[in-house]
Amino acid sequence: MTFCQIARYLVGGGTGVLLCVLTFSFASQNNATATQSPSASTGQFVDITQQLGINFQYQASHTTRKYLPETMGAGVALFDYDNDGRLDIFFVNGAPLSDPTPKGTIPQKTGPKYWNRLFHQKTDGTFEDVTEKAGLQGAGYGMGVAVGDYDNDGYEDLYVTAYGGNKLYHNNGDGTFSDVTEKAGVGGSGWSTSAEWVDLDGDGYLDLVVLRYVDWDFDEVWCGEHKEGYRAYCHPDYFKAIRPLVYHNNGDGTFTEVAEKLGLAKPGKGLGLASADYDRDGHIDLFIANDSMAEFMYHNKGNGSFEEVGLPAGTAVDVDGRTYAGMGVDFADYNNDGWPDLVVTDLANQRYALYQNNGDGSFTYASMTTGISRMTLMHSGWGVRFLDFDNDGWKDLLIAQGHDLDTIELTSPGIHYREPLLLARNTGKEFVDVSANSGAVFQKAWVARGLAIGDLDNDGWVDAVVTTNDGPAYVLRNKFQSSNHWLTLKLVGHQSNRDGIGAEVKLVTAGGAQFVTVTTASSYLSASDKRAHFGLGKDEIAKEIQVRWPSGIVQTLKDIRANQILQVDERVAKPRW
Amino acid sequence: MSIPLGLSLLAVWFCFSGHSFAQGQDDFARGLSEFRAGNYSAAERLFSDAEEASPGTTDALLYEGKCLIDLRNFPAAEKALRQYVARHLDSYDALYLLGFVLNRENRPSESLDLYTKAARLRTPTGDDLKIVGLDYVLLNDYADAVRWLEKSVELDSRNKEAWYYLGRAYYTQSRLPDASKAFQTVLKLAPNDSKAENNLGLIFESQAQPEAAAEAYRKAIAWQEQGEHPSEQPYLNLGNLLLEQDQMAEAAKTLETAVRLAPSNSLCRLKLGTAYLRAGNLNDARRELEKSVQLAPDDPAGHYQLGRLYKQMNQMKKAKEEFDQTAELQSRAASSKPQ
Repeated sequence: MTFCQIARYLVGGGTGVLLCVLTFSFASQNNATATQSPSASTGQFVDITQQLGINFQYQASHTTRKYLPETMGAGVALFDYDNDGRLDIFFVNGAPLSDPTPKGTIPQKTGPKYWNRLFHQKTDGTFEDVTEKAGLQGAGYGMGVAVGDYDNDGYEDLYVTAYGGNKLYHNNGDGTFSDVTEKAGVGGSGWSTSAEWVDLDGDGYLDLVVLRYVDWDFDEVWCGEHKEGYRAYCHPDYFKAIRPLVYHNNGDGTFTEVAEKLGLAKPGKGLGLASADYDRDGHIDLFIANDSMAEFMYHNKGNGSFEEVGLPAGTAVDVDGRTYAGMGVDFADYNNDGWPDLVVTDLANQRYALYQNNGDGSFTYASMTTGISRMTLMHSGWGVRFLDFDNDGWKDLLIAQGHDLDTIELTSPGIHYREPLLLARNTGKEFVDVSANSGAVFQKAWVARGLAIGDLDNDGWVDAVVTTNDGPAYVLRNKFQSSNHWLTLKLVGHQSNRDGIGAEVKLVTAGGAQFVTVTTASSYLSASDKRAHFGLGKDEIAKEIQVRWPSGIVQTLKDIRANQILQVDERVAKPRW
Repeated sequence: MSIPLGLSLLAVWFCFSGHSFAQGQDDFARGLSEFRAGNYSAAERLFSDAEEASPGTTDALLYEGKCLIDLRNFPAAEKALRQYVARHLDSYDALYLLGFVLNRENRPSESLDLYTKAARLRTPTGDDLKIVGLDYVLLNDYADAVRWLEKSVELDSRNKEAWYYLGRAYYTQSRLPDASKAFQTVLKLAPNDSKAENNLGLIFESQAQPEAAAEAYRKAIAWQEQGEHPSEQPYLNLGNLLLEQDQMAEAAKTLETAVRLAPSNSLCRLKLGTAYLRAGNLNDARRELEKSVQLAPDDPAGHYQLGRLYKQMNQMKKAKEEFDQTAELQSRAASSKPQ
């Protein structure tokens, strides 16, 4: 079975036969803008961390020296490592820091308290800690995580970033992972943050992009006021920008660093990373959220190289032409016009940046006109994802919030270190802050950082996991009550990379079209469920689904019934894997 | 009988000295009269003459300093007051004034030293503490600024300037409800104070109440039109708000007024140029944006908007130059922070 879809997880009973119509044609442009009339609704997310048996606590090891890494972590991944159809959770953890820590130190984990953690989801929906069995305790002061099947063997592999060197863990397919960093040559150096698996050259193998934050060491630098309790984390302007690492997958388990060769070596202060083909030229582009400098938009020229076009594209700065503290990012089509848009989180008094794709290679800063500006002005955001929490056909926004300075309230009492999450509902015309009425979790103030989304219980309603700095992680179940329908697609590449990362999916219902680019990346330091999720509103049938694979193959499915998780295999005459 | 030469010289000296002393007293008295009448230039000259005629015999230097403060000639005021303080070490009046002058000269640490010395001689007034608060503002220490400005209004609850600055300090600290209360107090003390109303507009904007913000800006504009020197600020704020709301025509009209009031304000030009650009009025946009860049060549935002304009005008080479300049200036700004 290589090219037909399989309804693996039918929801709501029944085992109806699915129509399976596969064609090869280039998608025609569809400019429909709405699938359903929006109705007033709020979210309903519930903290079910305890019930699920999740008990992860991120160790930031805060010191009196205010070492910058302390306030930045960490990430979380939602992925199905054992292919049992249920999402598992991987948390990145820190390491102990001495106070002071000598310059040149590479912190190391010293015991279970500092281990990264893998939680396996059992058949009853609860989780068990399988870290030791999996061999994923990790090393170093962890930051982010990227998920991708880099060797196309059908099992998701893990790349964990850290301060002082990163780790690649190959999934052995038997519940264990092997540290293959050295053989693969992807250890890197410096302070790595977000990373992404994406096939940059279309050879079917996932390459690896690794952001680095700043050129940093355990130096004794005092920032903030010289008063008891006022010492603060230094602004990134105090440190030099540093170029990212870009590893080309050689297809034999080894990688070659090619940032310079690909034109991706511009020094930045990268925290957030996302990809989409923003100009729909058939080549995946990259966006890097930089902290307190211009954001980077790397246009894939299709000849094996990239060009940074943030300023002319209108995505480098805010509406006033000012830089801001870019942190988390997502790259998705929120207005259903077929063109991927961007959201970038930043610090209080800056307003999160929403860039609407004009379809001509440029973007319009749309925070003001969409309601994002007014709801985010006083907030500081990190992990961010577009997700259709109410399955109405419009992608909403879920954002992890909290300032980076634990001293911020001493100097700016109106800004808060701990903040509730933000849920912004997309009405089809604007975003509306529905946090206040979307569950008790939105009343809790956290120092939130990482955010991953995915359908943990395969019920068609997208859930979320949030990490907090030096605090617990939270699993949030989406318990939204509605008769809205949904469809989730699990893509399996057979010429393209097996994860289907970079594939563009267009789904058409009676109400209009929606578009999703398959990715495990975006957000901040985190990796999300790779499956493409669509809310269908009142439509019970997706009239047409077009998948444009990274290989260039375009595959069309007709009249797909809602409320199922559907596997779509790339149709090729001779599957490579 | 002849008078010895020495005695004669002494007599002459006494004669002239007596004349100078009298002259000094006279100049000083006349200076006081001018000073009280608010004729500071005339008074300053008389106090200067008095001091020259009879150094140290009057408070001419102190009053000369006061005149020079009113004439906003702070370096000269500092010189006069320092001379006076050197002779009158216990003059709290001179110390407070000198502290004030140093505040105005953007030397907050020295100013605070003088206020500390003065406070040992006389309990500071609400007005003195207002300046102490402003010294901390200059030092970018808003926590202490608020502390002293709060004490200032505690001592003198009718000091509208202190309330205004307290409101500004709260606003900078993002303490929006407190800032709002402070500006409301200013408005109680001085109804139709356009600066306070303009700041209320900023608070409404920060609180995501654009309609209320626009109303406040419009009120501030209406109120200040009754005055002699209308400020560009409420026009700039209103114009920017309208720009954000995509109301290009009204934004441009409002910003045109801001530019008329402050033709050398690069931000007004930048916003007006941006409004024209977004409205598709490219020629006017070009004029304003080029002027803005001319006024503030180191502001990357101006070059960025100019780059966007040139791009829209299909002048890609010039657009690239402006974007490159933007990147260069952004990079320079980021690396110029103190280590």
